[in-house]
Amino acid sequence: METPPIFELKNVTREEAGREILKAASITIHAGEFVALLGPSGAGKTTILRLFNALDSPNSGEIRFRGERYDEGSVRDLRQKVGMVFQTPTILEGTVVQNLMVFQRWRKDFVLSDEDLYGKLEQVGLTGIGLDQDAKSLSGGEKQRLALARTLLNAPDVLLLDEPTSSLDPVMAHQILRRIKALQQEMGFTVIMVSHDHRLAVKYAERFIVLLRGEIAADGPLSVLKGDDSAAVQAFLNGGEE
Amino acid sequence: MSNQFYVVSWWDVLMALVFVALTYGIMRYWKIGLEKTLLVGTVRTFLQLTLMGYLLSYIFKQESWYFMVGLLILMVLVASIEGYRRQKLPVPHYFLILVGSLGITVVLVLGTILKFILDVEPWYYPFVMIPIAGMIIGNGLNSMTLTANRFIGELKHREGEVEMLLSLGAPVRTAVHGSLVSAIRAALIPNINNLMTVGLVQLPGMMSGQILAGIDPLIAVRYQIIIMYMWITTAVLADVISLTFIYRQFFTAREQLRINILRRAEA
Repeated sequence: METPPIFELKNVTREEAGREILKAASITIHAGEFVALLGPSGAGKTTILRLFNALDSPNSGEIRFRGERYDEGSVRDLRQKVGMVFQTPTILEGTVVQNLMVFQRWRKDFVLSDEDLYGKLEQVGLTGIGLDQDAKSLSGGEKQRLALARTLLNAPDVLLLDEPTSSLDPVMAHQILRRIKALQQEMGFTVIMVSHDHRLAVKYAERFIVLLRGEIAADGPLSVLKGDDSAAVQAFLNGGEE
Repeated sequence: MSNQFYVVSWWDVLMALVFVALTYGIMRYWKIGLEKTLLVGTVRTFLQLTLMGYLLSYIFKQESWYFMVGLLILMVLVASIEGYRRQKLPVPHYFLILVGSLGITVVLVLGTILKFILDVEPWYYPFVMIPIAGMIIGNGLNSMTLTANRFIGELKHREGEVEMLLSLGAPVRTAVHGSLVSAIRAALIPNINNLMTVGLVQLPGMMSGQILAGIDPLIAVRYQIIIMYMWITTAVLADVISLTFIYRQFFTAREQLRINILRRAEA
């Protein structure tokens, strides 16, 4: 039997404050892909990630995860399997370990040794910091890595990245994305990354979906993108960051 | 010296107008410009309180429990309308939440006082029930509106944190825990400070009233202690019950933050 795709979006529409952010979008994503969602700001990229993490629901259309309808079953289980890293990392008051062990607030059986935690930090390239360090004192890049490590503690099947490097310098951005790519290959999860910077995304993603004004303007590998004759897509690609 | 109860006559009240006259004179001399308002206020005080006196003597003559229960319901409704009007909050079903939370708080606190602490016979004895119910409703309402407002502020401030926790699979209750605690703490601190300082700076109004009415200060003090303990419980119960209803209004059945409702609170 053929395994169902990890995500299926069928004619999904999402309205916010009376405005259609996403217009009848259909996307199928298979397990293990590294997909970049590209497009100018306001195109609906983050909206798609929020739908995948079930932080929002579509106004119409259907979303399936591994063949199962999104509006059925436990939303918490779903969110554990579909981890999200936000554009601006939310770091809680307290130490690094308190941020990582936040799961204990609702999962009493969540126990990890210091060794496990250091291992997790090392995985995301966060070395040279102490578990008891005040998490708010970390640098921007360190905070983003801490947020990534925290999401990975759920051992998600999918990692949603919402412009994870937008506040970082290019060297740091590449460092983090290289880590994510390596982790993806090691752990086999699916990555869906939102970016307005396609020059950065082409180095890591294998598939590119371009969104323009809530509609999917192009979808495919880099070669398909380059051959896309849509003037709007080319304008976005040539213009780079809008 | 033995207790003596001074009955205040209407003549005494008339004599008290000397205070109003003195105030009026000072206002005129300093050209404060509030003379007319003062006179209106003086008349209103007289009329409103006299009316209230007649109303209370009528109420205290009633002997049926359902009259008292009906009156309690009316008091809860009037207080809720006042609270709802005073603070327009973008919480769906806010009025119902106020009525429900206040109602539950009154039943629990008043019931405990009447049945277990004072053991009043009959339980609806109006001389005890009505003033205490008034205090519970007043304090409960104040605390609830304060907490609700603070909670919405916290939720706005912590929107990112709440969504981050939800995104990791946290239940809504866990995601809003920080906002709930901050809101309740803010509302309770004045009440707890009250427990610390009562009797040091000034005598509480109710106790002063009882002493004036000729009650032994030691008895008045006992009453006041019970009221103080009741006060803090009323606040914490009203806060916890109302917030339990309120926070749910900000989330969908799929445990999503209803950002559009939160945005409405910005106005």
